[in-house]
Amino acid sequence: MALKQISSSKCSGELQKVFEHVSVELNCKMKFAVYLPPKAETGKCPELYWLSGLICTEQNFISKSGYHQAASEHGLFVIAPDTSPRGCNVKGEDESWDFSTGAGFYADATEDPWKTNYRVYSYVTEELPQLINANFPVDPQRTSIFGHSMGGHGVLICALKNPGKYKSVSAFASICNPVLCPWGKKAFSGYLGKDQSKWKAYNATHLVKSYPGSQLDILIDQEKDDQFLLDEELLPDDFIAACTERKIPVVFLLQEVLARIS
Amino acid sequence: MEEESGEELGLDRSTPKDFHFYHMDLYDSEDRLQLFPEENTRMRKEVVQAEMANESTGVGDGNAQRDLREEVEELVHLHGLEDDHELGDEFVDENMPRMGVSEYPPYGLKRRDPAREQRDWRLSGEAAEAEDLGFGGWGSAGQCQDLREVYRYTHGRASEEYECYVIPEEEDEEEAADVFCVTCKTPIRAFQKVFDEHKEHEVIPLNEALESAKDEIHKNMYKLEKQIIDMENFANHLEEVFITVEENFGKQEQNFESHYNEILETLAQKYEEKIQALGEKKKEKLEALYGQLVSCGENLDTCKELMETIEEMCHEEKVDFIKDAVAMADRLGRFLKTKTDVEISAQPDFEDQNLDFSDVEQLMDSINTIPAPSAPVINPQAPNSATGSSVRVCWSLYSDDTVESYQLSYRPVQDSSPGKDQAAPSPPIIKTKEIRSCEEAVLICWESGNLNPVDSYTVELTQAESPEASGVTESVVGIPTCETLVQLQPGQSYIIYVRALNMGGPSVRSEPATVHTIGSYFRLNKDTCHPWLTISQDGLMIVRSERSTPTREPPPRDTHFTRCVAVMGNLIPVRGHHYWEVEVNEHFDYTVGVAFEDVPKKEDLGANCLSWCMRHTFASLRHKYEFLHNGTTPDIRITVPPKKIGILLDYENSKLSFFNVDLSQHLYTFSCQLHKFVHPCFSLEKPGCLKIHNGISMPKHVTFY
Repeated sequence: MALKQISSSKCSGELQKVFEHVSVELNCKMKFAVYLPPKAETGKCPELYWLSGLICTEQNFISKSGYHQAASEHGLFVIAPDTSPRGCNVKGEDESWDFSTGAGFYADATEDPWKTNYRVYSYVTEELPQLINANFPVDPQRTSIFGHSMGGHGVLICALKNPGKYKSVSAFASICNPVLCPWGKKAFSGYLGKDQSKWKAYNATHLVKSYPGSQLDILIDQEKDDQFLLDEELLPDDFIAACTERKIPVVFLLQEVLARIS
Repeated sequence: MEEESGEELGLDRSTPKDFHFYHMDLYDSEDRLQLFPEENTRMRKEVVQAEMANESTGVGDGNAQRDLREEVEELVHLHGLEDDHELGDEFVDENMPRMGVSEYPPYGLKRRDPAREQRDWRLSGEAAEAEDLGFGGWGSAGQCQDLREVYRYTHGRASEEYECYVIPEEEDEEEAADVFCVTCKTPIRAFQKVFDEHKEHEVIPLNEALESAKDEIHKNMYKLEKQIIDMENFANHLEEVFITVEENFGKQEQNFESHYNEILETLAQKYEEKIQALGEKKKEKLEALYGQLVSCGENLDTCKELMETIEEMCHEEKVDFIKDAVAMADRLGRFLKTKTDVEISAQPDFEDQNLDFSDVEQLMDSINTIPAPSAPVINPQAPNSATGSSVRVCWSLYSDDTVESYQLSYRPVQDSSPGKDQAAPSPPIIKTKEIRSCEEAVLICWESGNLNPVDSYTVELTQAESPEASGVTESVVGIPTCETLVQLQPGQSYIIYVRALNMGGPSVRSEPATVHTIGSYFRLNKDTCHPWLTISQDGLMIVRSERSTPTREPPPRDTHFTRCVAVMGNLIPVRGHHYWEVEVNEHFDYTVGVAFEDVPKKEDLGANCLSWCMRHTFASLRHKYEFLHNGTTPDIRITVPPKKIGILLDYENSKLSFFNVDLSQHLYTFSCQLHKFVHPCFSLEKPGCLKIHNGISMPKHVTFY
C-alpha cells in the first residue's frame, strides 16, 4: 500500500513525519504521524502506538504533548493514528463531537451507515501495524500501546483482545466501562446497534472478565479533579474491580494534576 | 522546526525520465510563425498545456508554438518564482485573439537549466498558439479548478501567484478538450479521435490523465524531499568541518603564540641581564677610580700640609727650627717613602660582551615541534593498590598533550627497620556478620585482637577463583582504625584477611572472610530494632509475634524505634545502585522503604521527610497500598498484591522504585533528594514477618528505571 509523505519536521535530531495512505479497512485516505528517533538510523526500534481521544486527529499528540525528548532518549518509534475515518461523506457524521468523526471509539461498526468506514479497531490492530512494520525500522516483537480518554479505552481493548501483542499498556484518564457511560452508550448504539450484548466485545471491563490471562502490565493514570471522571464518563473503579478479581496486574494512579491533551 | 512541504520548485539535474516537460524555446521564438492563423484561433484552446498537469512542481505551462506540419522539438523552461510577474503580462497579451501571424511576445521565462532533460512533443495536428501561459486556454472551468488545486497543493506560495492568472474563458467550453491522447500526450476533443493523427492512438479520459499527472507530481515531490534531506545533511556536515577548521586554527594559533612569547621573554631577559652586568662593571670601575681619586686627594692634602708646616718652620727661631727640622726630616722621609700609586686602577674601556643567543636559537628551532607535555599528576595512592613488594601508581595528564611514553622512577623514602625487641601483634578478628557490600565496594570491620594498641592494620584481598597460589594479593596498608571501605570489581568473589602491625612487624593473617560483589548486601541493625521485633540469627528475617509486649522490655535507647515497630538495615555508604527484595505475605500489614540514619525513631516510617516507604494494609478483605513520604501518598490502587517486593535505590538519579518481582511489574517511583546516605527500613504494623533477600543483581526490567 502506497505511503504518501505529507510533512516532515526535524526536531533536535529526530524526525516527525506525517503520512497519508488509502486505508482498506476504513475505505478512505487516512493520515498518521510517526516519530523517528535518532536510533532509527542505525537499528530497529521498539514501536509505541498512541491512541488519541475524542475530537483529536493525528496532530494533537505530536504538537501538544512534548513527548519527543523522552522518545528520543529511549529510542522509541512512536505512531499516532487519526481517531476516525475522514471525508467519507457518511450522513450525520458531523452532527456530534462525541460520535463518528473524531470519535471512532476504536471499534468495528456493524450498523449502517457506519460499517463501511468505521472499522478503527481493525485499522489500529491490523492494517496500520502491518503498514508500519513493512515500511519503517521497527521491531514488531517490542510493541506497546498507550492512549488518552477514548484512546485510553482503545488501548485497553486492543490489549485485552490481543493477549501477548503488547509489552506494556498505559492509559491516561481513560474511559474504562463505556457501556455504562453516556459517551459509550451513544457510540455503541450507533456503531453496534441496540443489542447490548454486542457491546461487550468492545468494552474493557467485560473483556477483562474473560481475559485468558497471558502476561499484561497495565498502568492507568487519572487526574483526581477530572471533570469527566466526576461526570461518570470514565468509570475506572469498575475496571479496577474486575481486574482485581481476575488478578490482572494493574497499577492505577490517581494524581492531583494531570494535563489533558486535546 | 523547519517545514518542508514541497515548496521547492526547482528540479535538480537528475530528474528521472518520467517527468514530462514542455519545451519552450525562448530565444528562437520569433522564428516560429503561425502558418494557419484561422486555425490558430480556433485551436488556441487546444492547449498542450493540458500537459501541465503532468508536469512536475512549478513547471510553467506554455504551448509550444509549432508548425502544423512539422514536428519540432522545443524546450520548456520551468518558471522561476521571479518570473511570475512576467507571466502576468503575458497572459494579458495572450488572451486577446490573434489573427494572422503574430510575433511571440517574448516569454518571461528563464532558461532554468540547460542540462534539463528534453522531450519530444508531438502535438495534435493543429498548431497551438504560442505562449498561452498558465491556465488560460484551459478547457472547462472545472478542469481549471482541478489544476488550480493541484498547483495550490504542490506549489504553495507559487500557486497563489498563479491563481490570479487563471482566467476562465467561457467561450472555451464548447471547444473543451475532454479526452487525453496518450500517444501524443495532449488533450484533444473527443471527436478528434477520428482524425487521422489520433485514429490509432490510445485515448483516455482527461480525468484519468489528471490523476496520473498528480501522481507523478507526488512521486517527484518525494524525491525532492529526499534531496532536501541529503543536502541538509551535507550542509550540517560542512558546518561541522567548518567548526573543526576553526578549532584547529585556534590550537595552532595558541601553540605559536606561546612559543613566540617564550622566545620574546627569553630575549628580554637576556637583555636585562646583560645591561645589568654592564652596569655593575661600570660601577666597579667608577668606584675604583673614585677610590684612587680620594687617596690622591689625601696625598695632596698631606703634601700641602707638610709644605705649609715646613714654610712655617722656616720662619721660626733657630733653636725651634733645628728641633722641628729634624722631626720634619723624619716625617718627610717616611712620607716620601710611601709609594704613591699613580697607575689608574680602572680602565675606561669595557670589554666586548659575548652575547650568547644559543638558547634563543634553540627556541626558534623548536617552534614547529610538538610542545613537550606538561608534567603528569600522580593520583594519591588508592586503597588496595599496594602489596609488600609492589605498588600501583596512577596518574593523569592534560588532554592537550601529545604523549608517546612515560617514564616512571622511584626511590625508597624510608628504611623500615624492625623493632628489635618488640613482638609482632596478634591477628585481628573480622566481624563477618557486619560486612556490608555492594557491586563496587565492601565495608569491613574487625576487632583488634590485641590488648596493646597497634600502629596500623593491613587488609589483604584475593579474588576467590585464584587462591593464594597464583592470584594477586592486593593490600590496603596503613589503616588506622578497625574498619575500612575497599573498592572492588563487580560480579566477583573475594577472600579478605586483616593483619595488625606494630614496631615488631605484622601479625599473621586473620581468619578469612568472603565477599561477593553481586547486588547489595546488608544486615539488620539490632541497635535500631523496636523491642517487639525479633531478628533471626542470619539477620535477614524480621518477626513480630502475637504477644504485644515481651516479658521484659529493656529501656529504649535513642537508636531504637519506639513508636513504629521497625528496624533498619546497615547499607554500605556508597552511592550508585542498590537493589534488594522483601518477601511479604499479602495478609500482613507491613511497610518497607528507606530512611536516613537520623530518622526520628519516635515517628512512623513515611510520616516525615527523612523516610520514603511503601505501606500495605489489609483490612476488610481489601488491599490498600500507600507510598508515603512526609505523611502524604498518591492515591494508588494495585490489582494484584505483590508477594515479593523489589526495591531499587538509585543515588545518581535520586530515585527509589518499588516492583512486584514475580510479575516484573513496576509499582511506583519516588524522586528523592538523597544528600546523605540512607538505609533500608522495615516495619510490621501487625504481627507477621518479613524476609529479606539481598545480594541479588538487578533484574532486567528494573534496569529501565
